[in-house]
Amino acid sequence: MHVVNKMHMLKLKGLQVEPIIELKNVTKTYKLGDETLKALDSVSFKVSPGDFIAITGPSGSGKSTLANIIGGLDHPDGGSVIVDGNELMHTRDNKLSSYRNEHIGFVFQSFNLQGNNTALENVMLPLVFARMKNKDRKARAKECLEAVGLGDRLKHKPTQLSGGQRQRVAIARALSGKPKIIIADEPTGNLDSAKGEEIMTLLKGLNKDGITLLIITHDMNVARQAKRVVEIRDGKITERR
Amino acid sequence: MKLFDYIRLAFRNIRRQKLRSALTIFAVVIGATSVTIMLSLVTGAKGFFKSQVESSGLLEQVAVSPKQDITDFNSANNGGQCDSCTKLTDAIVEKVKAVPHVIGVARQVQDGSLEAITYNGKKLSLQRTTAYDANGIITRNILAGRDLAEADKDGVITITSDYADKFGFKGNYAGLIGKDVTLSTRGFYNGVGADIQPPVQCQGACDNNNNNPGQNQKATVFTAKVVGITDTNDSDATVRVPIDWARGFQTMRMYQQDKVTQVDCSKARGPCNPPQPTFSLVTTDQLAINGYASLIAKVDNSKNAAGVSTEIKKLGVGAADASASINQQLTVFNILGLVLGGIGGIAMAVAAIGVVNTMIMAILERTREIGVMRAVGAKRSTVRSLFTFEASMLGFWGGVFGVAIGFGLTRVANIFVNKQLASQGLKAHDIIGLPVWLILAVVGISTLIGLLAGLYPASRAAKLDPVEALRYE
Ligand SMILES: Nc1ncnc2c1ncn2[C@@H]1O[C@H](COP(=O)(O)OP(=O)(O)OP(=O)(O)O)[C@@H](O)[C@H]1O
Ligand SMILES: [Mg+2]
Repeated sequence: MHVVNKMHMLKLKGLQVEPIIELKNVTKTYKLGDETLKALDSVSFKVSPGDFIAITGPSGSGKSTLANIIGGLDHPDGGSVIVDGNELMHTRDNKLSSYRNEHIGFVFQSFNLQGNNTALENVMLPLVFARMKNKDRKARAKECLEAVGLGDRLKHKPTQLSGGQRQRVAIARALSGKPKIIIADEPTGNLDSAKGEEIMTLLKGLNKDGITLLIITHDMNVARQAKRVVEIRDGKITERR
Repeated sequence: MKLFDYIRLAFRNIRRQKLRSALTIFAVVIGATSVTIMLSLVTGAKGFFKSQVESSGLLEQVAVSPKQDITDFNSANNGGQCDSCTKLTDAIVEKVKAVPHVIGVARQVQDGSLEAITYNGKKLSLQRTTAYDANGIITRNILAGRDLAEADKDGVITITSDYADKFGFKGNYAGLIGKDVTLSTRGFYNGVGADIQPPVQCQGACDNNNNNPGQNQKATVFTAKVVGITDTNDSDATVRVPIDWARGFQTMRMYQQDKVTQVDCSKARGPCNPPQPTFSLVTTDQLAINGYASLIAKVDNSKNAAGVSTEIKKLGVGAADASASINQQLTVFNILGLVLGGIGGIAMAVAAIGVVNTMIMAILERTREIGVMRAVGAKRSTVRSLFTFEASMLGFWGGVFGVAIGFGLTRVANIFVNKQLASQGLKAHDIIGLPVWLILAVVGISTLIGLLAGLYPASRAAKLDPVEALRYE
């Protein structure tokens, strides 16, 4: 139904490409005692499939909040969020979980790998929740680790890997469910510039293969590589490029 | 997520904090062990009691008493005299025998004629003497020698073990078998064996007491051979005699003046010589008149005992099968089981608190992991199940180890119990059993307790907001 609506709107606006992400007047407020804080203040923007967008802005401006809402981890207070035909605003938690599993790959600043699991097991995790067969998920996880250049580190635990390697495991994990969108929140934040560059090369490669890439960063060197840069200040969006 | 994944992940997470998991499981083990031991003790004792009851044939018996209102087996069995009741005469015995499903009847007699038993100069007082048809319906636990047999005549007895103990045969009951003892009656006994003299016709002055027809002054003394020692625990301390001898005890024997044709001397001419009164011994079978103290009717199948009891009551006498009193005795075991099981239950409850604690700790530690799982697609329900599963597994292993330890301990306990039983002459073996249902129940209950203990922590884990969980330091 949502898809039909969207098609209808697209026709009205005469647009050629259907956006994969579409936010309209999205607001998110936090109440802390008497004060209300607008983390997102009526944010609207669209992302076309295969785009590579950098979201920048000062600390506390609402970047992560935006990313989490698009990724289905967080609910907005108002507005509408449509990602790949899914209306997220009113989606229940159960469906939202499946949505994250199928459509989104997350990459975090602090890697967030399961410490007692091997690289392979970490990459398999989304596939476990997708109820993929054990054999298939192993094969797929191996494939993904090979894709990030860690085909020889399958049995390594996170503590036995370098920071850059850990982030590559995280990227492999984000990839394993074959998502259309990868959301990376400060993926290079915990890495030195050389390792950060390696990660960026990897992510750009994925974008070239057709994955829509959303990177949150305040590193200008990273933002520069994006096709589009969006800046957020005090929860309001300003398109840079 | 698939079941296999739940098992795998739960297993892995339990092994992650080895010491903490081990301690938590240990608490469950203590609970499960105590529940296992206590329940197996009670079921063992109960089973032993039941088998004893079954082998005694009590379940196929209906006790009949002259007292009509009697409802439980033991008081019916004790019988008693009741002058206004329907007496348990041989006519009633025949009617009881004719009741469908009754395959035999044993008559029981309580007699108070005997007062003392003497062996080797040692005299012990007797409360009462019992007798019954030795037709195999009533059986006693024989510690030495044999039970009374149908062929036994007067002068054959069995005595209970505490008399044998007092005669100095403790531990050597066989030594008393075949020995003669002396039985003495109370005074004024006039049953079989009593030396009763016809009253002498007093010419002139004579002691009135000597003139008492049919009353025997002195105690009568019998010599009897002990053929068996029975277990006092079976019933009260008593001497048992063949029923026909008891009938003899209760036979009233007295001299009665014979009828004579009266001679009216006033009309006599010449010397009037009235005939001397003559006496003859009259015996009355009191037992036949007063009836037996009680009857035991044997039923073809224990299932028919209650029905037979109802049928017999229609004869106007009291009757009761053993099931009610046995069930009553079994309730004692059930209550014991509840009390002991309750103690184990408290241990289990404490263990459950341990599981809750461990799981809450685990969830705090793994908050970030939960966030990651949620981010990559775990549903709330998946997270909930995962932690519930983990807690259940703690309970499960606690149950498994608990049953194993409990099993070991019951084996050890059996060694001692076997010795104890053997010393009492009982051929019971390994009575503290561990039936499969008990093993399954303990493991099942432990697992269930783990599961229940895991519900609250798991729902806390499931309710975590993924964004906050990911940000958790
Ligand atoms: N759970 C919350 N409760 C209250 N305020 C919150 C909460 N989460 C976020 N905020 C506030 O919302 C604003 C936006 O937060 P957000 O994490 O999106 O910032 P950010 O742009 O990602 O910053 P950074 O670059 O430091 O990561 C911040 O001011 C933050 O304090
Ligand atoms: Mg942020």
